[in-house]
Amino acid sequence: MATTARPLVSVKALDGDMATDAAGVPMPHVMKAPIRPDVITFVHRLVSCNSRQPYAVSRKAGHQTSAESWGTGRAVSRIPRVGGGGTHRAGQGAFGNMCRGGRMFAPTRIWRKWHRRVNVRLRRVAVASALAATAVPAIVTARGHRIESVPEFPLVVSDSAEGIEKTAQAIKVLKQLGAYADAEKAKQSVGIRPGKGKMRNRRYINRKGPLIVYGTEGSKIVKAFRNLPGVDVANVERLNLLDLAPGGHLGRFVIWTESAFKKLDEVYGSFEASSSKKKGFVLPRPKMTNADLGRLINSDEVQSVVKPINKEVKRREARKNPLKNAAAVLKLNPYFGTARRMAVLAEAARVKARKEKINSKRTKLSEEASKIKAAGKAWYQTMISDSDYTEFDVFSKWLGVSQ
Amino acid sequence: RPQMSSEAAKVVVPESVLLKRKREELWAAEKKTKAVEEKKKSSENIKVIYARAKQYAEEYDAQDKELVQLKREARMKGGFYVSPEAKLLFVVRIRGINAMHPKTKKILQLLRLRQIFNGVFLKVNKATINMLRRVEPYVAYGYPNLKSVRELIYKRGYGKLNKQRIPLTNNKVIEEGLGKHNIICIEDLVHEILTVGPHFKEANNFLWPFKLKAPLGGLKKKRNHYVEGGDAGNRENYINQLVRRMN
Repeated sequence: MATTARPLVSVKALDGDMATDAAGVPMPHVMKAPIRPDVITFVHRLVSCNSRQPYAVSRKAGHQTSAESWGTGRAVSRIPRVGGGGTHRAGQGAFGNMCRGGRMFAPTRIWRKWHRRVNVRLRRVAVASALAATAVPAIVTARGHRIESVPEFPLVVSDSAEGIEKTAQAIKVLKQLGAYADAEKAKQSVGIRPGKGKMRNRRYINRKGPLIVYGTEGSKIVKAFRNLPGVDVANVERLNLLDLAPGGHLGRFVIWTESAFKKLDEVYGSFEASSSKKKGFVLPRPKMTNADLGRLINSDEVQSVVKPINKEVKRREARKNPLKNAAAVLKLNPYFGTARRMAVLAEAARVKARKEKINSKRTKLSEEASKIKAAGKAWYQTMISDSDYTEFDVFSKWLGVSQ
Repeated sequence: RPQMSSEAAKVVVPESVLLKRKREELWAAEKKTKAVEEKKKSSENIKVIYARAKQYAEEYDAQDKELVQLKREARMKGGFYVSPEAKLLFVVRIRGINAMHPKTKKILQLLRLRQIFNGVFLKVNKATINMLRRVEPYVAYGYPNLKSVRELIYKRGYGKLNKQRIPLTNNKVIEEGLGKHNIICIEDLVHEILTVGPHFKEANNFLWPFKLKAPLGGLKKKRNHYVEGGDAGNRENYINQLVRRMN
């Protein structure tokens, strides 16, 4: 909370104001309060209950009969039935919630709890948070206000605005400030409410325009602005969450008068000093003093103790069967290759040795004898190939010789 | 464009960025040296593993030859060579998990045989023999030979690392699990199991119980003992045939 470097908000001068050389008003501390949409939703929901009017069904409804059950034995259900005769109503079921003309289930009662209490501090924190949100143009735009032509945020107007009496002049002022687009949007949005509300004295609805906040009690500004649809007026000492965050949504477009803006510090205090108007109230402190995560992470203090980034993805090693896959075996047992090779060579050598041994033990045929043997083998081959001739097919069939 | 470059030369680089750059250089350098070191270590390792595998192969050959020689010697003298009793057993559970006496169930759990056709290696001593005797109708066991041990560990070997069942795809897994007992490759593991070495307990416990398939060709008769023509109990060397069919 660098209160030493509080920005200055310039005050917009209206036509007819004397030219001042004032640098501006320092930003009040409320505008730096933490923005807590969760607190605001909570408080807004509860606080909205407080202007409710009770509704209930008539106490007598459904019981204005002297119906009695006919009991069993009459082939009808046991629901109490209206006595008497001569009319449709006689014998009809009564009293039950299932009966036509009967009392409803759990008739609504007026002693239902309509209002909710909210802790004072919570209420104040919610308003402070909502005020902080009104200073952020992004949030205000997100809420839907037309603030494209507004020169500065927050928008502070000189105190001559508090003297405005006529609505025509009020419109002129809004146009000067670039705030008329928002007010115009509200004016054009007037329409008939969908639903039963239109027959219950809530016929017209419209969007919310700017909220004018004034500082001095009894200013004529209230009367000037109050007829403008969508435009609300509020005294800075009595700011309402339902106006600052309508519908529970942060970021109402607020137009401050100079005296109102200056009073904010008095009304809400600062983060250290308690407010003078709200006894013992100090603005809530944010959870993180520096919420810029990017800056924090990339700061030297963090980066110096951080481990190197690890981008390698450890994937499962495909399991290959070493009894079948050569690469898998060699990975496990590099000696396998040599062992196999040696075994193969040894086997080949063994086979050869055995062959030689046998051959040496066999009686050697003489040259002549081996020639004769070879000739005999050759003749056998020709005999087989000869019998392959197709000419002899019929002959062989006749003979019954199988190939 | 030329204007931008002259402007860029005047841009002040924040100190944090400079520090980060320096740090990243340091990390990159560290990573590189580590990678180089690791490569060197692994290449040295391969040499060691090669040498050991060779040594074991020779050892196994020598053992086989010795056995033959001793037998021949004894036969020549007219006597008999009785080979020493086996030190290693392979136990396979052949029955399911239903309707079991709680004590036998517990013993099978202690033997890490929680599922049908699970197999474990077991050291032979009084304690284990007595345990096996109590669970005899549920298991088939015998004395595995080198081929059985090797094929089981190669094909169905998984190690217990960090309580997880990790396949033995490369020797790093084994080194991580059993490095402190000087078992750094799969051949070391096979040797330790086969010869029931000094760190058999750790090596065996490192091996997750083998999940074998149901034997091709079927079992003879689960309900009977092997000697009665069934499958349960000690079948000594014939366990190897069973392992061939189940692996």
